[in-house]
Amino acid sequence: MTEQDKTKRCAELVEKSKEVVREAFKKFDPVDTAITWTGGKDSTTTLWIISQVCQEDGIKLPKVMTIGEGDSFPEIHDFINKWSKEWKLDLEWCINQDVIDAAGGKLSAIVRVKDLDERNQAEIKRIGYEGDTFPFEAESYVGNHLMKTVVFNQFIERNGVKGIFQGLRRDEQPARAQDEYFEHKEAAHLVPEHTRIKPILHFTERDIWDNIMVNQIPYCVLYEQGYRSLGAKTTSAIAEPGVPAWEQDLEHTVERAGRRQDKEQMMERLRKLGYM
Amino acid sequence: MKNVILLTIDALRKDALGCYGNESGLTPFIDSLQDKCIRFTRGQTSGPYTQASFPGILTSSYYLEYGKPKGLSPHRTLISEPLKQAGIVTAAFHSNPYLCDYLGWNRGWDVFYDSMEEEVDPKIPYIKGDVINSKVDKWLSSYTQGGGYKPFFLWLHYMDIHEPYIPDRKYIDMVDPSVNTSPDEMYNLFKEVLLKRDVSNEETVKLLKKLYDAHVREVDTYTRDFFATLEKLDILKDSVVIITNDHGDEFNEHGGFSHDDKMYSELIDMPLLIYDPSKDKGEVCDTLVSNVDIPPTIIYLFGLDPVAGFEGHSLLPLEDYPQKGCFGEAIDQRSQRGGDIEKDVYFYREQDLKVIYRANLDSWEMYDLKADPKELNNIVDASPKAEELKSKLKPSVRRWLKK
Repeated sequence: MTEQDKTKRCAELVEKSKEVVREAFKKFDPVDTAITWTGGKDSTTTLWIISQVCQEDGIKLPKVMTIGEGDSFPEIHDFINKWSKEWKLDLEWCINQDVIDAAGGKLSAIVRVKDLDERNQAEIKRIGYEGDTFPFEAESYVGNHLMKTVVFNQFIERNGVKGIFQGLRRDEQPARAQDEYFEHKEAAHLVPEHTRIKPILHFTERDIWDNIMVNQIPYCVLYEQGYRSLGAKTTSAIAEPGVPAWEQDLEHTVERAGRRQDKEQMMERLRKLGYM
Repeated sequence: MKNVILLTIDALRKDALGCYGNESGLTPFIDSLQDKCIRFTRGQTSGPYTQASFPGILTSSYYLEYGKPKGLSPHRTLISEPLKQAGIVTAAFHSNPYLCDYLGWNRGWDVFYDSMEEEVDPKIPYIKGDVINSKVDKWLSSYTQGGGYKPFFLWLHYMDIHEPYIPDRKYIDMVDPSVNTSPDEMYNLFKEVLLKRDVSNEETVKLLKKLYDAHVREVDTYTRDFFATLEKLDILKDSVVIITNDHGDEFNEHGGFSHDDKMYSELIDMPLLIYDPSKDKGEVCDTLVSNVDIPPTIIYLFGLDPVAGFEGHSLLPLEDYPQKGCFGEAIDQRSQRGGDIEKDVYFYREQDLKVIYRANLDSWEMYDLKADPKELNNIVDASPKAEELKSKLKPSVRRWLKK
C-alpha cells in the first residue's frame, strides 16, 4: 500500500469510528459516558478518536478511567501520567485497595478470603470460588475478577455511567468476530446496567499501527521493545525482542501470546462442570 | 450444493430420544423429524467423554493417537480446515471448555464462538442453548441476507444436559410435576451425590435421572427453536442437518454417575440422524457406524475429495458404506492432574459383540448386546468369538508408544 492509500484508508476507518462516537453522544448525554484507558495502543487510539470528535463538536471530553491492577509496567504508568497531563484528562485511577491491603501489596502473596471486605467476599461467592485463599495475581481467576471486573463495575456504579467506551477490536480473536459497536448489559447481582461502546471494532492490529503512524498518536515505549499486547507485567511477554510491534509479522502470528488468563478461565469452567 | 449443519448435544443418551424407543415423550420435536431423516440405530461414539469423543466428531481421528493430548494436535485435521480451503464458510458456536480456543479447536473457522470470555453462574456453568441459538440466528441472518450466499458449514453444540442438573421449573413440570426439589437442593445433590459418585440411594439416583430428563426436554425445545430460525431465514430447504451426541451419561447402570472412563452402552451408544428436507420418506440404517464417520460424510455432502488422514468413511451413499468394526478409547479422567495415561481403556465392537480392555489391569470383558443389552454378563471366557475380537483390538493398545 502506498503512503497515500494508507492515509486514505486510515481516514475512512477513523471516520467510521467517529460516527459510532457521535451516535453514542446522541444516545447518551456525554456527561453520562466514560472512557476506559489502559495505556495500550487500542484504548489510546479510542481515546484519541473520541477527543477529536469532542474538539470538532465542542463537547467536553468524558471522564477517563484506568485500572490499577497491582501488577503494571512502570512504563505504562509513566505513559498514562504524561499524556493525561498533556491532554488535561479528567482521569480516575481505579484500584481495589482492599485486596492490595489484604495481600500486603505483595504480588503472589496468599490472600485469605475472610480478610476481605463484604463486597469482595460477595464477589468471590458470585463467581463460584469456594477456596479459603487465593494468590494475589492480576490474571488468576479470582484476581482478575476482583482487580479488574469488580473495579470496572464499581466505577460505573459510582459515577452513574450509562455508556462506556472500550478499545476492543473484532480481529483480536474469533470470539469477538460477532461483536457489535453497542453492547447493552442488563443489571444483574452486583453488576450495574450499562452499555459498552466499541468505536474501533473494525480496526485490525495493522490498522491500529498505520493510524498511529499517520496521525502521530503517542504510544508506550514497550511496543518499541517488541511487545505486541500489554497486560499485567508478570504475564505479558515480548513477542519479538527488539523488533517494534509494527514491524512484526502481524498478519501471520498471534497478538496475545501470554494467555495465562485464558487457561484460568478454562480450568474454572471445567471445575464448575464437575471436572478436575 | 447444500449447506451442512452439525448439531451436537452434550451428554445426550441415545435412549432418552423417542425415536430410539424412549416412551416418556422427552423429544417430541426431534421425533417429528423422522420422515425426513436417515436414522442410524447402531451408532457408536469413539469415547465416553468430550475429550475422547470430539476428535472423532470433528477430526475423524481417535483420542489417544498421539498419547495423552494436551491440546488439539497439529497432526489432526479439523473438518473446518479442508472446508475453508475449499471456499466454504465455516462457523462454530459452543460452550464446552474442552473444545475452546486455548486448546486449539479454533483452527479453520471463519467464526468461532466458544463463550470463554463470558461470566457464568456456578449453577449454569455454560452458555445456554437459547443464547447459542440467538447468536447463531444473528450470524445466519447477517450471513445469508439478500440470498446468493456461498454454502456454509455450521457447527453448534448444546451444553444444557450436562451436570449440574438444575433444570428450569417449566421443564421439570413437563417431565414430572411432582418433583419439588429446589435449585439449591439440586445443586447440593450435584456436589454431595453426583460429584462423589455416591449411588447408594436408589431414590436419589431416580431423582437425578428425572432432572436429567427435564434437561433433555429443554434441549428438544432449543432444537425446535433452531429449526424455526432456519425456516424463518428460508435456509432449511437448502441444508442437511446432522444431529448427534458426544457421549451419554450414567445413572448407576455400572456403579457410577456422569461420564467417566467406561465403555458401556449408556455412554457409548450414539444417536445419529441425518435430516434432509428433500427426502420423501424416513430411512433406518442398522449398520454399525462410528462418530469418526461424521467428518468424511460432511466432506462428501460438499462434493469434495476425501481428506487424507481421516479414519472414518462417508456414511453416504448408504449402499457404499463398508461393514466394519467400531473402536473407542479413553483414560481414567478422575486421577490426579486431569487424567492418567497409564489407566487406559478400549472397546472394539463387531455386530452385537463388544470387547472392553483395561490395560493397567490387563482385564478383558465381552458382552453380547443382543442377548444382554445391559452388559451385565461378561462372556469373555465362554464366547468362541472372544479371541478373534481381542486380536483385532490388541494392535491399538498403547500404539503411541510404538511411534
